[in-house]
Amino acid sequence: MWRIRIHGRGGQGIKTASQILGSAGFYSGFQAQDFPLYGAERRGAPVIAFTRVSEDPILERGPISSPDIILIGDETLLNDPQSAPLCGAEPSTVVFVNSAQVPEVLSQKFSVTTTNLTDLCFQYLNHRTVYSSALSAVGARLLGNIELECLLRAVEDELIQQGISSQLLQGNLDLAREIFEMIQPVAVSQREEKGLTAKPLVFPSQLPVVDGAPIILDPGNMALRKTGNWRVERPEIDYEKCNNCLICYARCPDGVIGVAPDGRPEIDYDHCKGCLICALECPGHFIHTVKETGTFP
Amino acid sequence: MKTKIMLTGNKAAAWGARMAGVEYVPAFPITPQTEIIETLAKWFADGTLQGKFTNMDSEHSMFMAAGSAGATGVRVFTASSSQGILHGMESLYTISGWRTPMVIVNVSRALATPITLEPDHNDVMSTRDCGLIQLHAETCQEVFDFILMGYRIAEDPEVCLPVLVNMDGFYLSFTREPVLIPDEEAVRNFLPLYTVTQPVFQASRPMARASAVFGGATYTSFKLQQELASRSAEKCFNQTAQEFEKYFGRLYEPVEAFHLDDAEYVFVMSNSFATKGKSAVMKLRRQGIKAGLLKLRLFRPFPSEAIASALGGHAKVAVIDQNLAPGMGGITYPEIVTSLYDREDRPEKILSVIGGLGGKDIEDQDFMAIIEHLDKPDMQTPLYLYDEGDASGFSRLQQIAKLKEALS
Amino acid sequence: MKVLTRAHKKIKDLHPHEAIAPGTGLCAGCGGLEGLRLGLKELDDDFLICNAAGCFTLLSVYPFTPLQGSWLYTTMGGPVPAAQGVRDALDIRMRYRGLEEKENLQVIVVAGDGSSNDIGFGATSAAIHRGLDFIYFCYDNEAYGNTGFQLSAASPYGGATQTTPRTDEHEAGTEVNKKDLFEIWKAQKPVYLATVSPREPIDLSNKFARANELKGPRMFICMSPCPTGWGFEPKEAQLIAKLAVDTGIFPIKEYFEGEVVHTVRPRKRLPVEKFLERQKRFRHLFEPHRQEETIRQIQNRVDDYWRQYE
Repeated sequence: MWRIRIHGRGGQGIKTASQILGSAGFYSGFQAQDFPLYGAERRGAPVIAFTRVSEDPILERGPISSPDIILIGDETLLNDPQSAPLCGAEPSTVVFVNSAQVPEVLSQKFSVTTTNLTDLCFQYLNHRTVYSSALSAVGARLLGNIELECLLRAVEDELIQQGISSQLLQGNLDLAREIFEMIQPVAVSQREEKGLTAKPLVFPSQLPVVDGAPIILDPGNMALRKTGNWRVERPEIDYEKCNNCLICYARCPDGVIGVAPDGRPEIDYDHCKGCLICALECPGHFIHTVKETGTFP
Repeated sequence: MKTKIMLTGNKAAAWGARMAGVEYVPAFPITPQTEIIETLAKWFADGTLQGKFTNMDSEHSMFMAAGSAGATGVRVFTASSSQGILHGMESLYTISGWRTPMVIVNVSRALATPITLEPDHNDVMSTRDCGLIQLHAETCQEVFDFILMGYRIAEDPEVCLPVLVNMDGFYLSFTREPVLIPDEEAVRNFLPLYTVTQPVFQASRPMARASAVFGGATYTSFKLQQELASRSAEKCFNQTAQEFEKYFGRLYEPVEAFHLDDAEYVFVMSNSFATKGKSAVMKLRRQGIKAGLLKLRLFRPFPSEAIASALGGHAKVAVIDQNLAPGMGGITYPEIVTSLYDREDRPEKILSVIGGLGGKDIEDQDFMAIIEHLDKPDMQTPLYLYDEGDASGFSRLQQIAKLKEALS
Repeated sequence: MKVLTRAHKKIKDLHPHEAIAPGTGLCAGCGGLEGLRLGLKELDDDFLICNAAGCFTLLSVYPFTPLQGSWLYTTMGGPVPAAQGVRDALDIRMRYRGLEEKENLQVIVVAGDGSSNDIGFGATSAAIHRGLDFIYFCYDNEAYGNTGFQLSAASPYGGATQTTPRTDEHEAGTEVNKKDLFEIWKAQKPVYLATVSPREPIDLSNKFARANELKGPRMFICMSPCPTGWGFEPKEAQLIAKLAVDTGIFPIKEYFEGEVVHTVRPRKRLPVEKFLERQKRFRHLFEPHRQEETIRQIQNRVDDYWRQYE
């Protein structure tokens, strides 16, 4: 069995990528299974999807904790503790990152492949950054046992179900074909089964109701959760030109633009989700946007 | 001053709430419960009770208001029945998870379809898994007493769960019998006016309650806490019962054993029909048949140990369920059997009996039929208390229902 | 005409306090969150939100709460009766149990349009009937957003939802009109009733400030552009909200002491297309061919509405 885990953000086609890969495996004559993990989070937030492809019946369900292949659609996730895309990876795990270059620290630990899918998607998909076809093509090719025609059939089937325009479908097919030809298969070794050991179960002890019921006594502690990692682009205020009109402050849904003592608006990048309303609404266009790039710690 | 007066089960429930000093009653009428809330409405309106009575728009709303008021620190009472319990089911699960104390009276009435007014226990059994504590009453006195005890259990810091007191519609709700109302001072000693034992909503204490969780482990943690709290209520029930006896002289155990000691045949029953069972036991004994009865009183948490101890060593047991899970049979039957599984002295036969549905009487001859059935070597289970008269009567109704069709 | 207090005149008058901390799992660019954020700025932190199941369930996820005030998650149809229970309990404790006035809470219901128009509708009507002292905040994103955008009674004619998709047999997608919740609530004469838009923060803030001073049922319907469900880029949320007002599709108004006043009026109404064409849920009205009749019906409905007030 080959276990593939796909990481990306809500809206990037991560679930669809897992489905295209599942269908491509199925059309190639394998047993297949795919499934997305829906968390609480929304558009822009980290998401995970899974595909299993196997010659034998698949007797697994649910999340893949130790994948054979990890496909990372968004390199900014690499340093995201919530998403933790490398969690459960072993030295044998094949890691693919959508990036122009291989992060050095990564290459020392894992077998890493990279391609700049973002530019390719931009080129083929009319300036969109939806990685469903691109990531599934990468996965199919890395596996090495999936035929190109099965992949293309899967792309077509899954995207038509989503009501895609014929022009965009063709773009996706061309994109998948190009990536398929660009990537080299890797030898994904089958792991040996480990002997089972029992989990150390405990009998829970009764807690006072204040702990035993869902009660939260720390108002505003949500700020401990940093949503800055949702951002694909970052708004930056040009303070040379900003006239402190505070339209950005008024319009920010998450209230992450504060007002400094001197009256200037200040963006809290720990929490800014990168909706970019502020940039669009700034009357003087004094807020510009900068693409976030992943920095591996 | 303590008095003994003739009260219906409904009036006894209202008196229980009154003597408990309830401060808030969100209410919605439904037969056969309505007399309870009408009585309380009057007492709030004329100042007998201090607090607020709010006419709600449904049982779903009523239980929700009861729960949120409990989370805001007042002593809450409400009552419902049958379809109302089902309509409020989502709220019942929700508020028991909030872990806020209150007492709810359910006046049992059978469930649609077909719709009827008369009692059986499918309504209360449907709340079996909500996380409520359940006390089932046989007499109007028990209704009154269980409400006072119920507040002690519900408000216990270890429990913090709603308590449901169950009585049968008609057979208790509309039936008058003498009920001893203790004097207020004794009640206050047993059950002081409400002081909160958990954080409640008020400005100085902002808090979030009942927030969503993601991930099965967190969900499991909270549900297990609810389980432990519910299980701890059995100990709490026993302690409360002992104190209740100290003040009022009546001792309630989780189950009541009636002529059990030498019984070869034991009927397991609950609620008002247990009285009928007791009467049958006496008659059977006069005929030389060693019969006995086990009455279930504390139904949640389920007192498995007490039940197993009571039934262990007796040869033949019949669990009479006044409810029906179609395709399975009686609802309490598997719970009783499970309690006994580990015991070496478990009965040689345990029969599931379905009777009393929709208020259908259980008569002395039914008990004799159960005994005979228990004695059969090839005893089939479940046994339906349904006789030839019932079948022929039903047949007559069917003929009327299609009379025109037959003529044409 | 009654003239209400207008404390705020410009953006800088907005209260600097944020009652909602960041870090929530709500979508980037959520219009409803912006509406609630601006509204809560006008109250002090002594509030309790009774929340209906919906997108805003994600505001508080154990062990986190973004609120400086209190929160009670209820059920989809249960936030209003929960508010009743809290209100009654506080009143009882203040009247009979010596709870100090300063411990009082402003009780708020937060519910989406699905809860407001559908499953929680009866309970809300009952609470207005009882004269419940509370603020109701409906974030209206015109569908069941939390489950992936299915038809609610607030979904507009001509829009596509997951359960009213555009097909050859059903070209318009949604073929029924949005329920007029404002008029229905108005028929019960609540103390105060207003529509608000996050794109009109001064208007919104003034309305909340006003509602905060009143007692009884105070109802808000907040136009809540939804990038995820409506299909537009998150950064356009406020632009879409503005177009909803400028085309006259979403009238900004209030009802107080028997009169309805439009507090923000589009000077010259833009054609409804300007609002529709930017959203994926209306794309079928323009592609593959233009649905003139459907667009005209939407325009006519807007024109008919404003004709009453012109």
